[in-house]
Amino acid sequence: MFFLKEETKVISLHPSFFGPNMREYLITRLNEEEEGRCTGDHFVICVMDMVDIGEGRVIPSSGNAEYTIKYRAIIWKPFRGETVDAIVTSVKPTGIFTLAGPLSVFIARKNIPGDIKWEPNTVPPQYTDHADQVIEKGTSLRLKILGVKPDVAAINAIGTIKEDYLG
Amino acid sequence: MLLRLPTSLHYPITVTSLLKQAGDKVERDEAIFWYIYQTTVEEGDGLGNKVQVKRKFPTRFESSVDGEILEWKISKGDVIEGPLDVVEIDEPCAHEVQFGGLCAECGKDMTEATYNTEVMDSMRAPIQMTHDNTTLTVSEKEATRVEEDAKRRLLASRRLSLVVDLDQTIIHATVDPTVGEWKEDKNNANYGALRDVRQFQLIDDGPGMRGCWYYIKLRPGLEEFLEKVAELYELHIYTMGTRAYAQNIADIIDPTRKLFGDRILSRDESGSLTAKNLQRLFPVDTKMVVIIDDRGDVWRWSPNLIKVSPYDFFVGIGDINSSFLPKKQDIGATNKLIKAAKEKESKDHHPNGTVAKPESETEVSALQQLVTMGGGDNPRLLHEQTNEQEETILHQVEDRPLLQKQKELDAEDEASPESSESPSVEESQESNKHRHHLLEDHDRELFQLQDRLEKVHLQFFDEYDRRRSHAIGGRVAALRGEKTLSKDKDVDLKLVPDIKDIMPMFKRGVLGGVVLVFSGVLPLGTDTQNADISLWAKSFGVAIASKINGRTTHLVAGRNRTAKVREATRYPNVKIVSTQWLLDCLVSWQHLDEDPYLLHIHDDDRAEPLSPNSRELVESSWISSSDEATGASLWTDEEGNGNDPEIFNSAGLTETSHIGYDEDEQAAVHDELKDFLGSDDESESDNEVLGDETNTSGKKRKRGEDVDSETGEDSAEDDDDENDQKGSRLSQRIKRSYERSTGLREVATASSSEMGETRPEHVRPSGPHEDEPDAENVGTSHDNDEGFPENPDDDDDEFEREMLAAFEDDFDDNAEGDDMADE
Repeated sequence: MFFLKEETKVISLHPSFFGPNMREYLITRLNEEEEGRCTGDHFVICVMDMVDIGEGRVIPSSGNAEYTIKYRAIIWKPFRGETVDAIVTSVKPTGIFTLAGPLSVFIARKNIPGDIKWEPNTVPPQYTDHADQVIEKGTSLRLKILGVKPDVAAINAIGTIKEDYLG
Repeated sequence: MLLRLPTSLHYPITVTSLLKQAGDKVERDEAIFWYIYQTTVEEGDGLGNKVQVKRKFPTRFESSVDGEILEWKISKGDVIEGPLDVVEIDEPCAHEVQFGGLCAECGKDMTEATYNTEVMDSMRAPIQMTHDNTTLTVSEKEATRVEEDAKRRLLASRRLSLVVDLDQTIIHATVDPTVGEWKEDKNNANYGALRDVRQFQLIDDGPGMRGCWYYIKLRPGLEEFLEKVAELYELHIYTMGTRAYAQNIADIIDPTRKLFGDRILSRDESGSLTAKNLQRLFPVDTKMVVIIDDRGDVWRWSPNLIKVSPYDFFVGIGDINSSFLPKKQDIGATNKLIKAAKEKESKDHHPNGTVAKPESETEVSALQQLVTMGGGDNPRLLHEQTNEQEETILHQVEDRPLLQKQKELDAEDEASPESSESPSVEESQESNKHRHHLLEDHDRELFQLQDRLEKVHLQFFDEYDRRRSHAIGGRVAALRGEKTLSKDKDVDLKLVPDIKDIMPMFKRGVLGGVVLVFSGVLPLGTDTQNADISLWAKSFGVAIASKINGRTTHLVAGRNRTAKVREATRYPNVKIVSTQWLLDCLVSWQHLDEDPYLLHIHDDDRAEPLSPNSRELVESSWISSSDEATGASLWTDEEGNGNDPEIFNSAGLTETSHIGYDEDEQAAVHDELKDFLGSDDESESDNEVLGDETNTSGKKRKRGEDVDSETGEDSAEDDDDENDQKGSRLSQRIKRSYERSTGLREVATASSSEMGETRPEHVRPSGPHEDEPDAENVGTSHDNDEGFPENPDDDDDEFEREMLAAFEDDFDDNAEGDDMADE
C-alpha cells in the first residue's frame, strides 16, 4: 500500500559545496540517497517535497555542515493480502520468481493453479495450461501477497495466483 | 509429522491427561497433554532448617507445530523414560519450499523462534537448488522430487546433464585494453586472430574497475560444439566469475538462450569462493552429471569430472577469475607453451627463427608471474583476495602484458643481427607474420572433447538400456505398477546407472598398466602422488612411482638430461617421453603412440643398456611379464607345499636382483619370514620335548600368522612407500593373500583336529633338519635382504609381532597339550 509519509534525514555537506546552489545540491543529494531505498520495512518510491531544510550546523573539527531535512515521500509498504502486478523474472520447477517493482515475490508451485503445468522442454521454459495461458520470463502477472518478510536491505514476499481474478 | 519429546524434559515423566483427541486442531504452543515429573527441591521445614524433599510437579506439554492430531502414541498413565514419539500431527503445510525466510506455500515466517522451538522451521528446507537465487531453499523431499522429474525428463529425451566451466574451458577472457586496440587496428599483426574476439563492458564491477572492458575469445569450434553437445546433454554454466560476467558470456556464446537457458550459476550464488560443489546444483544425486572444467582441484577431482586442457589464447593472462582459487600447479600450460613455441620454431621459415625461443621464455616467466599474482596465497583471506583480483585486473589494464610482450618481441626482432637494410621490409613483414603467432589459435580441444562426451553418453545409455532390458524381463509386473505412478511411462529411475561408475571405469582402461615415473616435471618437494597432474593421470589408471625399476613402463621427463633419464636408458622397456605425451593421452583419452613424443637423449647420457641376456634384464622383463604369476606362486610356496620347480627358478633368479620393487618388497617380506622361521627354530628346540605334534601345529599356526602380517605389511608398503603397483593388481594380490591366509587358518585348525593323519606330512618340514632347507628355499632366494636395511619401525613391528606369535605359540602349545591328553 502506498503512503505519503513525512520523514527526516540528516545530510552532511562538505564545505566545498557551500554557496548559492546549496539548496539545489541538498535536493539532489536527498533524491539520490532516498529514492528507491528499501528500509527493510518499506520502499521509498519518490520524494515529493521538502517541508523544512532547517538550519545548517557546522560540525566542529570537520567543517562539514549538517542539515536536518524534513521531507515528504511516497512510500510503498507491501502488506499481506495485497494484490499487486508483477513481471516474471524467471521460472523454475519449484515456482515462479517475479518482481513487483522493487519487491521480489516468489510464487511456489502449490500456489499456481493446478492446470498450469511446468513445461521444461520449451525455450525458454514456461508454465502453461497448454491453451492460451503461458507464463514465461517477461509475462505480467497479477498476484496476491501471502507473506512479507523484511530483511536488512530488502523485502522478500510470497505470492499466489491460485485465486479468482489472479494470474 | 511425528512429534517427538525433547531430551530436555525431566525424565521419567508420567502422563496424567491428554488435552486433545485425534481429529482436534492444535496450534503452535498450545498445550496438548499434562504430565508430572519428580525432582528434589530444597525446602525450609519451618524451623529454619533446609531439607531436600522429593516433589512432583505437574506440567503441560506444548505442541511445537500447527496442525490436526492424527494419532496419539501415548495414553493416560504412561510413564515415559526417555525421548519418544508422542503424537502424530498432520500439518497443513510442511514448509518444504522457503523463500527468504518465508514459507513459499503458506507465507509463514520461518525464522521466528520461541522458547518452545527445538529446530528452526527454516532448517526444514536447507537445500539451495536454483541456479540464480540463493534465497530460495527447499527441503530434501522437494529437492528429490524436482530432481526426479528432471531425470525422467532427461532420460526420456536421452540426455545427461553437463556442467560447463567458462574461463579457460570454453572461452578465454582478458581485460588487457591492448586487445581492443589491436582489434581496431587492421594493420596489427594480431588482427587476424582477434577478429572474432567479442567484448563487453561491466559497469558496476566493484570500485576501481568501473566500466572495464572484457575481451572474450571463444575456443575454436565452440558454437558447433555446444550445438552438438546440447543434443546429448542439458547444459549448465558453473563459473567462478560474477553473475554479471556470466550473464554477459552467456549472451555471447548463447544469444538465444537455447542451450543454457537460465541454468547459470556464478560465484555470487556458489556459496564457496574456493571450490565448486556439484551438490549445489544436484543436491540429491549426481548420477547423470558430467562436468567439464580446466581445473580438477576445485572439484576435488570428482569422478564426474572430465578435465580439459586449459585454453590459453591471450598468452600469459591465465584465468582472470581465479584469484579466489587455490594456486594452480600449472604444468600443462607451461609445457604447452614451450611446445607451441617449438612448433613455431619448426614452422617458421624465418631466417632468424631462433627468435621464437626467447619469446617462449618470456611467455613462461610472465605466465608464472601472473599465475602467482592471480593465484592467491591464502584462500582464507577473502578480502585480501578481492583486492588482489582487482589488482590483477588493474594490473592487466595498466601494464598491458600483451603489449609488453609484443614489444619485447619486436625489440628482439629488431635486435637480431641478421636483419640487414634491404630485407628489412620483408623482415618486418615476416616478423609481422611471426608476431601473429603471439596470439595463435590452433586449439583442437573442443573437437576431442565432443568425442569424449559422445562416448560417455553412449556408454551411459548402453548401460541403461542393458539394465532396462534385463529388468523388463524379470519385473514386468513391478514396472507396470510403477508405470501407473510415474508420469513418464518408459522411465525407471532405479535402473539409472551412475556416471560416477561408468566414466572412471571407462577412463581407467585408457592408461591401465602404465607405471610412470616423473623426472623434472614436478618441482622438488612436491608430493608426487598428489600433484594435480598425478591425480589426473591416476584417474586414467596410471600408477605413479618415485623410482625407476623393472616395472616402470614410462619415464615422463620435463627435461632430457636428468639423472632419471640416464637411469631409464638402462631399461629397454622404459619409454622416455615428454610431458606432452601424458597430457595428450589424458586429453584425448587414448593410449597414444609414444614414438612422436620420445625424448631425444643426449649421447653422453645414454647409459650402457642392459644387454638382452644380462641377468637384470632377464629378471626385469620376467617380472613385468609374469609378476602376477610370481605373486601367486610365491604365496603358494608359503602355503607349505613349496615343491614347485618354478619357485626355485624364480628364487634363483631373484637371488641376484638389485632392483625391482617386487624384489625389494618380497625380500623384506621373506626376511621377516626367515626371522620368524629362525625364532621358530629356537622355540622348537625348547618345545621339542613336548613332541612333534605340538611343534607341527604351533608352526602351522605361526605360518598362518606370518602370512597375515605379511599381508598387512604388503599393503602398507604398497600404499605408503612405493605405490608403483597397479591398483587392480595390488587389490588382487591383497585379496588373494587374504584368501590364502584364511585358507591357512582353516588348514591349521584342520591339522589340529585331524592330528593323526596330518602328522607325518607336517613332521617332516618342522623337524630341525628338514626345516633348514625349507627355510633356505625361502630365505636364500632373497639373500640380498641384507642389502636393504630395515626400517626401525619395521623392526619394532616385527618384534611386537614376534612376541605375539610367541605368546600364541605358547597358548597353542597348551591347547595342543590338552588335545594330546584327550587323545
